[in-house]
Amino acid sequence: MDNHPDKEAFLQLIETNKGIIFKICNTYCTNAHDREDLAQEIIYQLWRSSGTFDPAYRFSTWMYRVALNVAISFYRKVKASHEKIELTEELPLIAENTNTEKEENIHLLQQFISELKELDRALMILYLDGRSYSEIAEVLGITETNVATKTSRIKEKLKQKFASHQ
Amino acid sequence: MDDVQLKELWNSYERQIEASRILNMQSWVLNMKCFEELQKQKAGARLNRLITIKTVAVVLGIIWVLLLGFLVVHSLVLSKIFFVISLSMIMLFTTIAIVIYIKHIVLIRQINNSESIVETQERLATLQLSTINVTRILFLQAPFYCTWFISPEWLRNDWQSVVFITLPIALLFTLASLWLFRNIRYENKDKRWFKILFNSPEWTYVLKAQEFINDIEEFRREA
Repeated sequence: MDNHPDKEAFLQLIETNKGIIFKICNTYCTNAHDREDLAQEIIYQLWRSSGTFDPAYRFSTWMYRVALNVAISFYRKVKASHEKIELTEELPLIAENTNTEKEENIHLLQQFISELKELDRALMILYLDGRSYSEIAEVLGITETNVATKTSRIKEKLKQKFASHQ
Repeated sequence: MDDVQLKELWNSYERQIEASRILNMQSWVLNMKCFEELQKQKAGARLNRLITIKTVAVVLGIIWVLLLGFLVVHSLVLSKIFFVISLSMIMLFTTIAIVIYIKHIVLIRQINNSESIVETQERLATLQLSTINVTRILFLQAPFYCTWFISPEWLRNDWQSVVFITLPIALLFTLASLWLFRNIRYENKDKRWFKILFNSPEWTYVLKAQEFINDIEEFRREA
């Protein structure tokens, strides 16, 4: 691709926003190998699509779009192949040491988000990352009203799930 | 639990991911420094792989059609009428499949991950689902594999074997292929015969595309 930005500048942008990739990989992948694979694929696709980035917009918005698109496609492919071989490995729980209430809540949040459908999961990642409704709408391709309604419903579900675990 | 608590939990989760180094940071950094190498490694990335598979299918299909065309052109005599008609029909269905596959390759190349999630995912799922249409069309050529060897001379000399053996078999294949053409649909995915025919992760992925399209429609719908 001829219209790639400066490699070092691109690497710097990725480095600054690597948290986005971490969270997305961890939310859509159930095992370490898949996570590594997805992270690599996201970086590759970001580089490959870098010519489509319009500096007039926020880098993170563009990055969410590419990373979430790659992650959802990857997740669907992996899910289809794993259905035939019975998953033995469950969530890559970060909060394995659930001694404190906070640790347990992080564990539960991770579990509840992983139970959402692919697109709802993307919506919640964006919402919990503090993105505005207009940015979420732009990344997902739905209206702001729709974002607001769906976010409210999913949050309600999450709260109910948390309440039932109290 | 309120919104602030939820976001606070999410932020703690983010800090834990970074702290736990759940992704291999070393390989991450290596990959960040070696994009050219990474590009080579990922030359077979999923969509590229799909393009490769479909391109191979198109090339093989074209070779097959050319071979059949050659045979047809050199058999344009009345004594080979069944042969010519059967091969022409097989060529027709194969050509339709080739055209659909070429259309797929063009669509795959147009997929842009930096477009909105709903738009990109819908395009991908629709593309995956259309693979099943190619299979349905290809089943329609099956009866013609039972008729190409019939000849007017054979009909004159031994019409009984044609009428009582070859034609019933061809009829059976015709009914079966028409039935499959009508019934290979997502709605029948849980039927036993369907599971036997499409029992592979690749087909599961294709069939799941319909569920995903339904999810996308629901997601897009305003409440």
